[in-house]
Amino acid sequence: MTLIAEAPVGTRPRPRPSDVRRRRQRAETRAGYAFLAPWLIGFVVLTAGPMLTSLYLSFTNYNLFAPPKWIGLDNFRLLFKDPNYLQAWKVTGTYVIFGTPLKLAAALGVAMLLNTAHRGKGFYRSSFYAPSLIGASVSIAIVWKAMFIDHGIVDRIQVFFGFPEGGWVGDPSRTMPMLIMLTIWQFGAPMVIFLAGLKQIPNELYEAASVDGAGPGRKFLKITLPMLSPVIFFNLLLETIHAFQVFASAFIISNGTGGPARSTLFYTLYLYFRGFQDFRMGYASAMAWVLVVVVGILTLIFFRSSKFWVHYSGEGK
Amino acid sequence: MKRTFWKAVAVTAAAALTLAACAGGDAGDDEAAPTSTGPDTSPVTINFTWWGNDDRAARYNEALALFKTKYPYITVQTSFAAFPDYWTKRSTEAAGRALPDVMQFDLSYLREFSQNGQLLDLAPYVENGSIDLSNFDENLVKSGELDGKTVGIPTSTNTFAMFQNPHVIEATGATFPDDTKYTWDQYNDFIADVSDAGAKTADGYGLYGAVDYTGTFWFFIQWLLQKGITPFEDDGTFGFKEKDIVEFLNLTADLRDAKQVYPTDRNVALAPKGGFTVNETASEMSWDNFLAGYVADSGTADLAMAQIPSIKAGEKHLFYKPSMLLSSGANTKHPEAAATLINFLLTDPEVGKIFGTSKGVPADSKQRAAVTTEEGSVDAQVIAYEEKVADSVTEPTPIPVKGFGAIEAKWKSLGEELGYGTLSPEDFASQWFSEAELSTQ
Repeated sequence: MTLIAEAPVGTRPRPRPSDVRRRRQRAETRAGYAFLAPWLIGFVVLTAGPMLTSLYLSFTNYNLFAPPKWIGLDNFRLLFKDPNYLQAWKVTGTYVIFGTPLKLAAALGVAMLLNTAHRGKGFYRSSFYAPSLIGASVSIAIVWKAMFIDHGIVDRIQVFFGFPEGGWVGDPSRTMPMLIMLTIWQFGAPMVIFLAGLKQIPNELYEAASVDGAGPGRKFLKITLPMLSPVIFFNLLLETIHAFQVFASAFIISNGTGGPARSTLFYTLYLYFRGFQDFRMGYASAMAWVLVVVVGILTLIFFRSSKFWVHYSGEGK
Repeated sequence: MKRTFWKAVAVTAAAALTLAACAGGDAGDDEAAPTSTGPDTSPVTINFTWWGNDDRAARYNEALALFKTKYPYITVQTSFAAFPDYWTKRSTEAAGRALPDVMQFDLSYLREFSQNGQLLDLAPYVENGSIDLSNFDENLVKSGELDGKTVGIPTSTNTFAMFQNPHVIEATGATFPDDTKYTWDQYNDFIADVSDAGAKTADGYGLYGAVDYTGTFWFFIQWLLQKGITPFEDDGTFGFKEKDIVEFLNLTADLRDAKQVYPTDRNVALAPKGGFTVNETASEMSWDNFLAGYVADSGTADLAMAQIPSIKAGEKHLFYKPSMLLSSGANTKHPEAAATLINFLLTDPEVGKIFGTSKGVPADSKQRAAVTTEEGSVDAQVIAYEEKVADSVTEPTPIPVKGFGAIEAKWKSLGEELGYGTLSPEDFASQWFSEAELSTQ
């Protein structure tokens, strides 16, 4: 290093240390991008490109066969005059509003039970997690349908307890509860995250609370919930977005119709019908972008509201 | 798709090399050598796709094995899917101009694909004799012609029939009216009689006369024809109005009010089966070639076929609907080979024997004659029915408007709401028309 400083004037200037660092950094950046390339290419070609294309298509009339025709905002105007579209929002909204909190409550409840259990914890954890692993699959939806059909197991149980006979699958007022139960049952993923969060809560807090004479309810409200709030926030956000995207279970249970009487006409299902059965790709793209914007606004609201109820440890009191 | 393409390129290249070798005076391999008079027999590979179940796939494979022995230079690569998925695939292929060389086609999608120039005009191949339609009904062939182009050729036909389950009718003590001259009102009385009998299946489900037939769009079309109304005009508009829909829906208003039609919730829960295929309704109107499927699904071998009711006694106004057509993608690189395959599937008597009436009654009279009709078999019953009603088939095939699939599905879901009692016939009509406006524009 000293040599550099003593170099005679007139010779080619040696690179200064900051130059070396910068060049090395640049090389590292290049290498970084090179290693990222497979993912980047995938992202641009398979995600960003199609998304931008669909944004363009949402302003066009495009039936896949003829070239897209620019129609401005017509698709969006048509959307809000389409009774099916409003029905799709109603169905999806109901599902999100009821399904997500109930699922998180179930996940938290079971996580707390597992947190106290000692023997066979691993076994229970795995078995409660299993439904989420297979939950997205078509087979579960088929099994679910078989359980709730006329003379299915649920029908028999309700008759045993003196309720009127009848399956749920053909009854428009009961298909939504049925689908919400399906999503609640798949609480495994948020449960595992809750479990990890619960383990982070220092035991001393509970001990101190016990000394002060706090009961279990008070401990839950004053320690568990606040300490767990970052995890709750994370799960809530994830599960809400997830709930907006439900497709497979509704498709299977309604036999690919969104029925009976449009009671399972989920947003994504209707989008699929418009795009791939009626070949109205412009219209379907417009639907997709409205969904993106709505979910985006919801996410923003969640983040904005988080400072009022999410407590990160280490924050100044 | 891409792999097929490269395979085709490879095969073509290999063929070209072989031909060059022949031209060079090497007479060793004359299998691929073209004869000066016959058609080009250099090896080609074409794609063929259809919708249907395993049973149909087995029949196609048998037919294509036969094709291979007759035309060894044409290799056919096949694929198949269920009906809804089938159209998803075709539409994406159409977007990429990569439709199969030969494919099964449905009337309800024909206009959509044809309008956009996706389908090959087969007329030149009919004219040069590659496709022989001499044993076809002329009116039927017309159903595959749009804007002066032959974009599809019907393989087989069907028409409406009234299916009956004799066991259900017997159990309820009802009598089916004389099917040559009964009216919709008389049919309604029959439905009411069966439902009112209060009979139940061994599992405790009630027996009914029929599912509410007003929930099916095609029946509305049939009823319009009986009324003398043309359902679809050539310019793609409708020949009927909201009041016609209301009138049709009100045919069964009393049955719905008195809960004499099959319960909608049960019928929906059974999908893709229905009240008739679980032996809980006495009758069902449908396309006549559904008999095989009904027998298989219901396990009732002796289902009977009768004629459908009419507005004026005896005036049935039936029409033939091509149960499916064969078409070729406009992008095909081997139109001759495609035409050869289409001709084989349409006209070879052996193919007729292989398929029976499972795709409908064969359109080609020689194929129809080749169907082995064992006394009392499903095939014999369907063919006998079509022969019996042949004189009543007086209407040309109504060619569905663009967006037909969507408006047909809409009719079905509105029909469910009507069945649940959450919708009035007037609301049904106005909601259906607003959907139609959106879908057919």
